[in-house]
Amino acid sequence: MLRKILLPTILAILAYGFWISPDFKEISAGVSIFLFGMLTLEEGFKVFSGGTLEKILEKSTDKLYKSISFGFIATAIMQSSSLVSVLTISFIGAGLIGLTQGIGIIFGANIGTTTGAWLMAGFGLKVKISAYAMPMLAFGVILIFQKAKSLKGLGYILTGLGFLFLGIHYMKDGFEAFKETIDLASFAVDGFKGLMIFIGIGILATVVMQSSHATIVLILAALSVGQITYENALALTIGANIGTTITAIIGSLSSNIDGKRLAGAHFIFNVVTALVAVILMSQMIYAVDAISSSIGIASDNYTLKLAVFDTLFKVMGVVMFIPFVNKLVSFLNRVFKKDSSKPDTGYDSARYLNDSVLELPATSMAAIIRETKHLYENAFEIITHGLNLKRSNIVSSMPLEEVIKDTYSKSVVDIDEFYNHKIKGIYGEIIDFSTKAQSDMSPKDIEVLYKLKLANRDMVEAVKDTKHLQRNLFKYLNSPNSHIKEEYDYIRKNLAELLRNINFIATTDEEDVILILLSKAKVHTERYDILANGTLDNLIRDELITNEMATSLMNDSAYAYDISKNLIEMAEVIFTDRNSNTPSLNEEMAMNAEDIKAILEKKDD
Amino acid sequence: MGVKKFIKNVKHTLGLNDYGIEGKKKSLKDLLKKLNSRKKSINKSLESTLKKKERTELEEELEIVSCQIKKGKKILHSLYS
Repeated sequence: MLRKILLPTILAILAYGFWISPDFKEISAGVSIFLFGMLTLEEGFKVFSGGTLEKILEKSTDKLYKSISFGFIATAIMQSSSLVSVLTISFIGAGLIGLTQGIGIIFGANIGTTTGAWLMAGFGLKVKISAYAMPMLAFGVILIFQKAKSLKGLGYILTGLGFLFLGIHYMKDGFEAFKETIDLASFAVDGFKGLMIFIGIGILATVVMQSSHATIVLILAALSVGQITYENALALTIGANIGTTITAIIGSLSSNIDGKRLAGAHFIFNVVTALVAVILMSQMIYAVDAISSSIGIASDNYTLKLAVFDTLFKVMGVVMFIPFVNKLVSFLNRVFKKDSSKPDTGYDSARYLNDSVLELPATSMAAIIRETKHLYENAFEIITHGLNLKRSNIVSSMPLEEVIKDTYSKSVVDIDEFYNHKIKGIYGEIIDFSTKAQSDMSPKDIEVLYKLKLANRDMVEAVKDTKHLQRNLFKYLNSPNSHIKEEYDYIRKNLAELLRNINFIATTDEEDVILILLSKAKVHTERYDILANGTLDNLIRDELITNEMATSLMNDSAYAYDISKNLIEMAEVIFTDRNSNTPSLNEEMAMNAEDIKAILEKKDD
Repeated sequence: MGVKKFIKNVKHTLGLNDYGIEGKKKSLKDLLKKLNSRKKSINKSLESTLKKKERTELEEELEIVSCQIKKGKKILHSLYS
């Protein structure tokens, strides 16, 4: 409803402004060019975010001070706290970082935005900035048309900077010309009333432009030509800081619960800091004067003094909040709970797949890998129960002979019901999400994604094969014929061993252990195949089992063989380190059919 | 000096040309070191008196480890050549 009214209102105000003042047209065009520059700049940095940014983020956010530093540096370089906020939400959504690290990044990003004010006040307003914009735009556009990804990214960054500079130039020129017709400073309001009014204007301007950076640049442009008073500019800066939280809130709407918590933290941090700044306004103005004179800023240089205020205000907020980060996290965990109003239908759904992680190919990939592991956990449970085994026994060190004796249930487990509740939905979501995600991925990433899709399919096939195997397994486990019972227990034992090994692979980082366990699993799968090793022939020849039993055993051993193969192939994809510098090495070192045959033949000799 | 030649020289000076291959060589060497030490410890265990089942399992693991070492050495050799 609000959106329906807001857009026509803004358009009407702009149209009226353009009609009454050509200078207003210039200022608005300046703001528009500046915002477009920010979008282009973000596009450029996204090109370079495929790998490097993610690795830095993962490694440099383990401590709060590191998260803050990362947020500061990333924002200072990219000149967009909105981009950093959205990326942080995306990383939280993919489960790559936790809420505490996310909050640290947001704190750092807040301080990082002050570099924009310093650049504008110290450089942008003093030189003819448009002179730099033109070559940047020309070089940038040429580079955008290049095929190489890095050149294209560089092109977007240059063009983005060019548009930012051009926007600043038009804003500055517009305000200078505007001054000759209307003196906006005559609308200045003093005292507390003025503070509140201009905070409100700052919020509104930032909500409309979706960028506090743009608002602050606009404030500086107006302040530099005396179109607003210094006191009102301070209030507008505080307002811009509150208004910027809206971008993060909008970004979090499509995110998971942690993304919403982060947006909540952003909102609380900025609003509380603004409140403290309002309460301590006169002390802050005094502090700004003292700092400015100590670093050689003239008392009438209001633009640089505004940059000092912006920095002081944001650093103060971060220093104030650091001791309470853990309390803030627990408060947000209490307030933003998982929706308990939804009735528990017993249907499991995707945990990591949401639109916020689609922001970057790397986060999409991380989310798909995590979701695949989630699917594996459910498949592990279903296969274990289908084999009439207890999950807790498999993951323990209990001897396998005892594991198969301690059965899960006396009756057949409904695998179809399990499948519908715990597999089907997640599997569907993974496939659907992968299709959406791959549109932004490089051919190399699409190849990895394809393998992940196959791993998911392998898991689903393994569950379906367990369903087929289960039918006779329950029947013959209670059979008076000890030979057939023994064979089915043998199948259960071998699969239990495989599940235990895969569980071990899933929980270890030791590359050599993973490699050996996977190789062992492959060798055992071939060795335990009773069709190939002659066991079935012996049982039939010695008339130890009936014909009906023989056909059942033959079919079921084939199912067991397929389950093993599918699970091993799945484990090779999802549990070998995808973030490793040499993922291809894992594939090259994996045992192939020839190696397995050689080992089996050596053993038989 | 042309731009391409300049970039080539910088890459060569900083050793960026074979960055991927060098990383792979290092990972492979680390892996081979681990596999060799495992092979050593299996051989040591096999010298002691063991139950038949344990001996069979260790012998099988030794076969697998030896096969992996052979494979690794082959890859390393191809990387150096």
